[in-house]
Amino acid sequence: MDSSVHLDNTVMQFGDFTAIQKTDLTIQSGEFFSFLGPSGCGKTTILNMISGFIDPTQGDIKIGGKSMHGVPANKRPTSMIFQNLALFPLMTVAENIEFGLEVRGVSKNERKKASDRLLELVALEGSGTKKVSELSGGQKQRIAIARALAVEPQVLLLDEPLSALDLKLRQHMRTELKAIQRKTGITFIYITHDQGEALTMSDRVAVMSAGRIQQVADPITLYRDPHTAFVASFVGENNGVSGKVIEAKSDLVVLDCGPLGKLAGRSQGNIAVGTAATLFIRPEHFRLQAENGMHTLGATIDEVNFEGAYLTLNAKTPAEQALSIQLGTHQFSESLKKGAPVSLSYNELDAIVIAGEGHV
Amino acid sequence: MFSQLKARFGSGLAVGIIGMIAIWLIGLVILPQLLMVDYSFRPNLLPADIGGPKDVYSLTNYETLFGNHIHLKIFFKTIWSSVLVTGLTLVVSYPIAFYLAKVATPQKAALCLLLLIIPFWINEILRTFSWYIILAYKGPLNALLLGLGFIDRPIRFLSGDGGVLIGMVYAYILFMIFPIYNAIESLDTNQIKAARNLGAGWIRTHWRVVIPHAKPGIATGCIMTFMLAAGSYAVPALLGSPGSRWFTQIIYNWFFEGGDWNQGAAYAFLLLIICIGFIALVMRIFKVGLGDIAK
Repeated sequence: MDSSVHLDNTVMQFGDFTAIQKTDLTIQSGEFFSFLGPSGCGKTTILNMISGFIDPTQGDIKIGGKSMHGVPANKRPTSMIFQNLALFPLMTVAENIEFGLEVRGVSKNERKKASDRLLELVALEGSGTKKVSELSGGQKQRIAIARALAVEPQVLLLDEPLSALDLKLRQHMRTELKAIQRKTGITFIYITHDQGEALTMSDRVAVMSAGRIQQVADPITLYRDPHTAFVASFVGENNGVSGKVIEAKSDLVVLDCGPLGKLAGRSQGNIAVGTAATLFIRPEHFRLQAENGMHTLGATIDEVNFEGAYLTLNAKTPAEQALSIQLGTHQFSESLKKGAPVSLSYNELDAIVIAGEGHV
Repeated sequence: MFSQLKARFGSGLAVGIIGMIAIWLIGLVILPQLLMVDYSFRPNLLPADIGGPKDVYSLTNYETLFGNHIHLKIFFKTIWSSVLVTGLTLVVSYPIAFYLAKVATPQKAALCLLLLIIPFWINEILRTFSWYIILAYKGPLNALLLGLGFIDRPIRFLSGDGGVLIGMVYAYILFMIFPIYNAIESLDTNQIKAARNLGAGWIRTHWRVVIPHAKPGIATGCIMTFMLAAGSYAVPALLGSPGSRWFTQIIYNWFFEGGDWNQGAAYAFLLLIICIGFIALVMRIFKVGLGDIAK
């Protein structure tokens, strides 16, 4: 069954405020797709448009190729898991799961079978008669999933459903959600501001900022080849160093970064000589020993933090630019201490250059 | 309670506060009620006979009602009409309360609440009189309906149950709206969205999600409206007489026209007892506990 979702030149305005700039995006049938962005970027608005709680000002939403224009929320083939779960507190667990089927006029026997099957899927067999208030956070989470799946939606919408859980449970639920998605084969649309969630679970991620989709890509591409300065600094940690382009050949760009000297990196998009650009280096791409073809910049250590498997250094360049560096713990030596000079090298293929001043 | 007050205000003021509350409760609420209970069991005697051999406790005053068919009929009509008033008020108030709590923007909700409250700054008698004018045989409502061609000749709204119902629904609407509004407001809007999202239409969303949540508020509103309606005097007296008599009018007559306070007190207590019993029964049926209402 085609359960793709197409945002067909969709615009959403609230009065003068444009919550979603014109967006054209197709989410494939059976895909685990995430919208990642800071709060207020419009990702929940997209979810509300797909589920039918609000209608786009312009454009259309198509699910399985069918226009959803004028189709009310209760007639759409979508099902949502809310941030606060929104389980019905006055109903039992089974009644919660069966609610969507009850609405559809499914007989009591069939409903019971369905809820038993779903309780098994989420590994909560026999909890049907419990009250919602008797469940733990993780159990409630799983009941919310079961309730949403009971109506056999084509598209499952998840609005930051893991944000209320503690870290361990959250990591466990990520694996479980992914497994459920694979088992059911329905399209999952996941909204989150937590990049860890987006990167680990998704087939593709759309990074959003201020009502605009910045980049749509699979997690690795997003991390390695961010197209915009926003994506570069929002997804994972990044050090941005701005400078002027002095050389641009094929996909390598050299920047004059003032006191830091000349630094090079792979270019993203067309970057002209003479314009301002920003070089992004990930903390984990710095080395203490320079190898052939590496670029080196000097800095002074501000702080050394031991985090178990790795160390993070906060350092300052002569231009007072803060850098964050991540090193394997095996690289620790007594010379790494506050106030000590350090020379940091990186491979130019690990750095990328994006046009613009780039500080986000 | 005393230790809390003492901790906050010191013992002198605490004693003062508790004392005033005690005087108010005992002197103005409990004692007069007890006096009425005492009255209701004693015969109505000339001042000279009070305390004499004829002054004995009996149930005679209570039995009077069951011997008087007209009074009995009015009694049950009052209960039944109060149920009707409560039901109608609920039907009118629930959508308003839901709109105020979940649909309207804060500004619109504030404006609506103001519009609802302003008329209640005016005395109940005056408000009822304004309905008397609106509903009059040659009044503006009839003129409007005639003008629009809905009716051929004026309707006699007054001197019947119709006017009383309209007047009472209007008089008690706030007592219904506010508790329901409070109850619905505390409902997480995502619950409504979840129900919609799972395919529920509006009616089912209300029936299965909003109303169960608002049940304590609905119960509080219904109890207040019912008690106020059953104990109402001004509205039936102004908008219903003489075609529609309320039991309170009979009680009034015993007290102030019959001069028989003992008989009036007995009637008043019968009304109170039946109303409380009726409410307890309805709460039982709808599985509402006293604790729910206090929430």
